[in-house]
Amino acid sequence: MLLARDGMTENAVLFWKLAKATLLRAVLIAVVVVGSVSAQTGGIERSPVYLAVSGNVALDQHIHDLLQQSFHKHWDLISVSGEQAALIEDAPVITIGPGAFSRVRQANRKVPVLAMLTTRDFLEGFASRSPGQISGVYFDVPLLRQALIGKTILPHASRIALIATTASAELYDSLIDELPQYGLEAQLFIVKEDKQLIPTLVRALSYGDFLLAAPDNAIYNPRTIKHVLLTAYRRNRIVIGPSQAYVKAGSIAAGYAPFPVMTEMAAEYLQEFFETGTFPEPDYPPSFNIAINQQVARSLNIPLAPKEQIVKSVELQIENKGVQIDE
Amino acid sequence: MLLSTPTLAQPLSEESGQIGFYGFNDEIPEVLTTTRLRQPKTRVPGTTTVIDGAMIRDLGIMSLAEIFRLVPGMVVGDVGSGTPVTTYHGTVHYEQRRMQVLVDGRTAHRATLSDMDWQTMPVPLELIERIEVSRGPNSAAYGINAFLGTINIITRNPADTAGTEIRVVGGSRDYHRTFASVGDVSDSYDWRLAFEKRKFGGFDYQLDDDEEPIPFNSGHDINVFNYDSRLKVNSGFNADIRLGVVDGINEEDFFKDGELGATDNPDIDVRDYYLQTQLNFTTSRTHFFHVQVNFENFNRRQRWPIEVPESVVNCLIIGADVFDEANNCFQAGGTPLTANVNSDSEDSRLEFEFQDTLLFSDELKLVTGLGYRKDTFRSETFFNGRGTSYQSRVFGNLEYTPIDWLTLNGGGNWERTTTTDEGYFSPRFAANFTLGNNHALRFVYSKAVRTPDSFEQNPEYGYTLRDIAPAQYALLEGYRVESPLDTRAGTLEEENIISREISYFGQFPLDQGQFSLEVRVFKDKMRDMISGIIGFQDWTIDNNVDIDQKGFEVEAALDYPGTTFRVSYGYLDQDDWYNGPEISNNETTNYKEKKYKVALLGRLSARHSGSIVLIQNLPFGLKGSTAFYWADQLKESRFERLDLRLAKSFLQPRYTAEFAVTVQHYMNTDPDVSIDNNIEDQNQLFLEAGIRF
Repeated sequence: MLLARDGMTENAVLFWKLAKATLLRAVLIAVVVVGSVSAQTGGIERSPVYLAVSGNVALDQHIHDLLQQSFHKHWDLISVSGEQAALIEDAPVITIGPGAFSRVRQANRKVPVLAMLTTRDFLEGFASRSPGQISGVYFDVPLLRQALIGKTILPHASRIALIATTASAELYDSLIDELPQYGLEAQLFIVKEDKQLIPTLVRALSYGDFLLAAPDNAIYNPRTIKHVLLTAYRRNRIVIGPSQAYVKAGSIAAGYAPFPVMTEMAAEYLQEFFETGTFPEPDYPPSFNIAINQQVARSLNIPLAPKEQIVKSVELQIENKGVQIDE
Repeated sequence: MLLSTPTLAQPLSEESGQIGFYGFNDEIPEVLTTTRLRQPKTRVPGTTTVIDGAMIRDLGIMSLAEIFRLVPGMVVGDVGSGTPVTTYHGTVHYEQRRMQVLVDGRTAHRATLSDMDWQTMPVPLELIERIEVSRGPNSAAYGINAFLGTINIITRNPADTAGTEIRVVGGSRDYHRTFASVGDVSDSYDWRLAFEKRKFGGFDYQLDDDEEPIPFNSGHDINVFNYDSRLKVNSGFNADIRLGVVDGINEEDFFKDGELGATDNPDIDVRDYYLQTQLNFTTSRTHFFHVQVNFENFNRRQRWPIEVPESVVNCLIIGADVFDEANNCFQAGGTPLTANVNSDSEDSRLEFEFQDTLLFSDELKLVTGLGYRKDTFRSETFFNGRGTSYQSRVFGNLEYTPIDWLTLNGGGNWERTTTTDEGYFSPRFAANFTLGNNHALRFVYSKAVRTPDSFEQNPEYGYTLRDIAPAQYALLEGYRVESPLDTRAGTLEEENIISREISYFGQFPLDQGQFSLEVRVFKDKMRDMISGIIGFQDWTIDNNVDIDQKGFEVEAALDYPGTTFRVSYGYLDQDDWYNGPEISNNETTNYKEKKYKVALLGRLSARHSGSIVLIQNLPFGLKGSTAFYWADQLKESRFERLDLRLAKSFLQPRYTAEFAVTVQHYMNTDPDVSIDNNIEDQNQLFLEAGIRF
């Protein structure tokens, strides 16, 4: 087979490419047509909503099922790949994750996109350039909430250590401005090169009562997280954030947006899209949950209130602008 | 299950698959080293004080031994020529032999003279991660020296000190300390090279026989080099490799330490080194073990000139006991003999340890291990040659939580030592009644023994005369002047302690803060304690004192945003009596001698001691701290000192710099512990500057 392919003439290669493109086009048309037809079956005409998946089968299926529930049969949900999005006109596409979002955007600049499982940092620029057409439900939890989770767990904390690269420093800009009204202050320590991560972390841990980690792959990634967590533990400092996965790895807690809340919010955005033709601005889900690593808390002798109580305390602090509620 | 992770409300994104759980492999710090199991305070079978390295630095503490003023029930003082000593619940003075001291798991006290030398410890203050002090007998985990407790000094992991740090401190009484460290981390190797110079002038003056002030040679000038590294082979295996060298001079005053009529100060030339390797194996999240091998060498050269009158020479020639007053050997006149003598000694310790931890579940955890130690001692003066002693031991501790409000601990150590040729078992049992994760009431019963060290048990004490002058005494060249040791009562036996403890630990989350409280109430019975004098002319030690002691201790901390307030207090009530053989036929002498021997063990027993600490973040990057330490000790003397420190940090993108000023204010002018420990100025000033990048 390899020999045959190597032996192909240029014409033969062109032919195969053409045939492949034609075949793909036929399949896409079939999917969209079938999708449209299926949307009109059952006697009720329902608008199609396309779902561009991430490729993680279990995750995609879970989101798909939740969206179905949230749609209450108002719309039909049709899964498509990124390339298939090229043929979609007018109907909105929900994307799962930044990869699917990028693929859809590359294939079709005109299609309205509602992004899920992307962070604010990722999506904000696209949404501001195409207001109403590009929107989403942010996957991350606002850093202020993460900071207040830390403050609730460690009530005597007053200083937060932050680490970023020069490129990611802006992630923390608004947080640093917001913190003083909650009785907190933060100092950002910049890592200019990989080698400086641990020395910078050591300096940051000397400053802060805890380390707040934003979703910043340059600093917090599977390669670095072990060093970061262990260095923090040894200094008796806790790490908050950036996500559930890192809590599983050993970070003490992180807020996260529950999928049902995100899909409900997506349904509300779609409702508005079908009514007005535009999406509302992207935003964070209205409520969040918290993941906690009890084992780490016990090891560090940190008493933890129940999750619901921590969440409630954070919400009340935000409502009352800094007045911490003692549960 | 112990290692179950929180139940997650939703499936994780793809990143979760790539991130392991790092909380519970062998690299996580032991929260408490009391039983060698990693236990939260609510489950640990005893009271443990943890002093954080950051607190040590924030308080401007200037030497290692001073740290222990923060530990309830511990006192710190200076004996001899400004030699720092520290102990928990007294009973020691010159020789600190009733607490086990470990640095990163390595036994730190000198092997054969069973003493701590805090001035030459290879532990720069900047490298202390934390110090854990298990208060109460801890032989069940750490063997026969852990009679009154254990001090576990944990230095900073080389991975946490990557980069460069330089700090210079200077101040009163010629205090000078320079610290520098450099290190790096990588996926396979973390390392750190550190240097510290500590120099100190000691006390300002001592008093002569007429109570007139005269200079006191009581300082030190010590250089320490450490290399710490971790080789990370894979996730299941890594190796810690450490080595260190200590070199310098520890000043001794000839009024304090020069035997046989010293005419110059018998300063000690210190040349120590150690090598340590620990192989850490993590076979699973629930099973890990380590093998540790270390070799330490303590080499001390202490030489001084002497001058004795001709009458002594005559006594030596006829073989008479020169210290027996009946022989009248010390008479003025004639041609004095001059010579050089020494107290040189070299101790080597080879130590092996295997420790295995099995976490069956969150409710059942087991640590077991084996230990072996070979001590070799060489000293012409103390042992007339060389000798060895061996210790081998087996230890273990089982933690069992049958119901969520009760944790039981049972542990013990069986040990055999050649200094007594006997084996000893030291058990500990504890029941912790817990309320949630925040409160625990503990009931602890423990037993421990301390065996005499090689010098106490088998001394061959004598000074060899060298470089004799004038020539007329040449026949005495190489002559060994033996210690009479005439009052030795025979072979020493082990000391015993039975300790009962009821303690409470609680954490109270507050609005904006947290309050923690630990109270220990104890009742100990110590039997067959070895008391008496260890001296060349006077050797009277024996198992001759019993002590019953009781008391309570409090450690409380209040943490508020930017504020730490900490209090420690210890109350000790000792009831002690003589239980040895009769000393004299004269009733009055007998009474006085007995009373004296009992009092020898009470010299550092403080009835009240404690500390109050406040650390406060201030505006403009300033941080202030104040600490008040006090101790009623040595019967009449009282130690009271107030420390104030103000530090300014500059947090720059590429470096952090700090400048600080510390003032130590001695509240009274009375010398502490000894009438010779005099400081001219009640206010001692220290300045420091540091940079980290």
